[in-house]
Amino acid sequence: MKKWMKIMLSLVLVLAVFPGITAQANTIDNHYTYDYWGEEIRSIPAFERVYTIDEDSMNVALSSMDDVAAGGGRIFLIDSQQSRMNVFDDRYEFVTSVKLLRNEDNKIVLDEAGNQVALTNPEGVWFHEKENEIYIADTGAERIVVLDGTDYHLKRLITKPDNMVGVTQFRPSKIIVDDADKIYFVVQSGFEGIVELNQSGTFSRYFGVNKPKVDLWDYFWKKISSDEQKPKMAKTYAPAFNNLCIDQDGFIYATTIDTAAQDQVFRLNPKGENVLREEGYQKVAGDLTVSNSFIDVAINDYGVYALLDRTTGRIFLYDFDGELINIFGKNGDLDGDFKSPSGIAWFGDKLVATDQYLRCAYVYEMTRFGEAALGAARCYYNGEWEESAELSKEALRLNANYDLAYIGIGKYYLMQDDFQNAMYYFKLGNDKTFYSQAYNGSRNLWVQDHFGLILTAILLCAGGLVYSEYRYYRKKR
Amino acid sequence: MGSSLVDLKNAVSHLFYTLFHPFDGFFEMKFRKKGNRKLALFLLAVYGVSSVFSTQYTGFIFNEFPLHEMRSVQLFLMAVLPVVLFIVSNWSTTSLMNGSGSFSDIFIMTCYSLTPLILFDVTTTLLSNVIILEEGPILTAFRYIGVLWFCYLVFCGLCTIHEYTVSRNILTLLVTLVAAIIIIFLVILYFTLMETVIGFLSTITTEISKRW
Repeated sequence: MKKWMKIMLSLVLVLAVFPGITAQANTIDNHYTYDYWGEEIRSIPAFERVYTIDEDSMNVALSSMDDVAAGGGRIFLIDSQQSRMNVFDDRYEFVTSVKLLRNEDNKIVLDEAGNQVALTNPEGVWFHEKENEIYIADTGAERIVVLDGTDYHLKRLITKPDNMVGVTQFRPSKIIVDDADKIYFVVQSGFEGIVELNQSGTFSRYFGVNKPKVDLWDYFWKKISSDEQKPKMAKTYAPAFNNLCIDQDGFIYATTIDTAAQDQVFRLNPKGENVLREEGYQKVAGDLTVSNSFIDVAINDYGVYALLDRTTGRIFLYDFDGELINIFGKNGDLDGDFKSPSGIAWFGDKLVATDQYLRCAYVYEMTRFGEAALGAARCYYNGEWEESAELSKEALRLNANYDLAYIGIGKYYLMQDDFQNAMYYFKLGNDKTFYSQAYNGSRNLWVQDHFGLILTAILLCAGGLVYSEYRYYRKKR
Repeated sequence: MGSSLVDLKNAVSHLFYTLFHPFDGFFEMKFRKKGNRKLALFLLAVYGVSSVFSTQYTGFIFNEFPLHEMRSVQLFLMAVLPVVLFIVSNWSTTSLMNGSGSFSDIFIMTCYSLTPLILFDVTTTLLSNVIILEEGPILTAFRYIGVLWFCYLVFCGLCTIHEYTVSRNILTLLVTLVAAIIIIFLVILYFTLMETVIGFLSTITTEISKRW
């Protein structure tokens, strides 16, 4: 009896020491994705947090984290309260912090009045890889600061151009630069669109169309109101963009958190129209049950973009076609949760996301599933069909709920004209359009194989018809 | 045995005659007692089964229904109950509005009219397995033909068995709609009240059983 008690006691102790044994089943509870019918199904995360950059990582004061940019092996973090840009290298070690701006000779730059020029409540940063320049949206001082990418000396300041039209204030909040050195920035609650500047800093145009939702009720009231009433009614402004990013092909991705907007995520062509691809089961809108407010978007060089949602603290990964790859992260009080997420950026194959309230940046690395799923998306984007199918199979081994992989394998078989296998996989992935294509191919083959049979059947029918008519008329005569 | 088979044969031939000559067919059903109640009931059941069949066996390309959560009984009732509701509400309005059709007439007429719906339902279901997405309009067209034919039969049938004019018939149909809504309201009311009563009784039972 005593021996039996001992065994039980040791078992209890073992379980207490290794809580993982009992708790493991619950570790992926909050990870989900949506199936064809819009129902939540379980999924495993494609990314997991590997490192946290916070005040302990640096030797300067930290009050906020508002934006993140990455490039050239460094991470740039913006602190709008302390008016600083903090730089970290690829091992997440503190490199430097920029507040006072220095010239090439490492002297502090003075303005006409003799004051030191410093960052003033900046809100956005962008690393321009082509020219090795850092662009900082210096919101408080209403200017754009351009720094050298190597030793961080001031290259130039861009203030409000004389030829700028419209009522939008020159208060750049988030900023990007394209390959033609054109500068794009958003002004928070600026309803005229994204501001586009030429390389020289002169005003080019307002850019991007953001349509408000049409409300039948509003339309009715506007229709019946008199001309005197109309000017007194509340005006409907175009919803403002709140963040932006640029992809390999020079298309600008933008987000809006205005609930009055028709779309929340934009891929703007040079004309400023939304050409976002939405080939997935659902529209690119994050959750189906909650209305998300996307605070930032980051796109990598094979078209996979991450949307950071402020309401739920989730990061949504979509591929180039607008198909939902994965959802991870959450708002909460546990280690690694968000409180008030503010910015996200790709850092090679890693993701860096900042939190304004917690004053930290999380670095995410791909899990094995993420490597397979995103690898498949990369290979597909680059036209390497076979590798893409292999990686899709690997992703399915790890997560059988990952429907995109079935479609990916199906597309590979369809390209090989292996219609039976293609149909099998498209059916599993619930892709009706591609299934229809594969079925069309297989049906054509069937018709070719059984052409004799079909022809005989048609001839028999026609013959029977003619014969019955013949008999009918002979009887009548 | 022999005579019932002959009856069935006559009833079926009368049914197909009615499909193409609704006025004559329904007239003979009403005044020469050619309608067959058993056949009508059978058609109603087949209609319910065909709706289950089409949900289950529509080809993958055109099947938007989540088959993993299909409930056959629910689908069957969802198809049959509206028909029953129409029959009941139409009978209750027309008996007040000088319609001369009996309940049995309305029942047989409506169930006979379901035949084109059943036929086109089954046809589209089978066809949807061998066509591709681009040929989808064929299916839609087939479905519309079935529905239009059904509406035509019901309309002619109502005119004939109630001895209504067209305008009078349309008016009665509108009133039927209102009656149907009232019936649904009463049914919901009944079930809500019953739920309360049963809840009350079960609480009392629990209370008593806890005391002793």
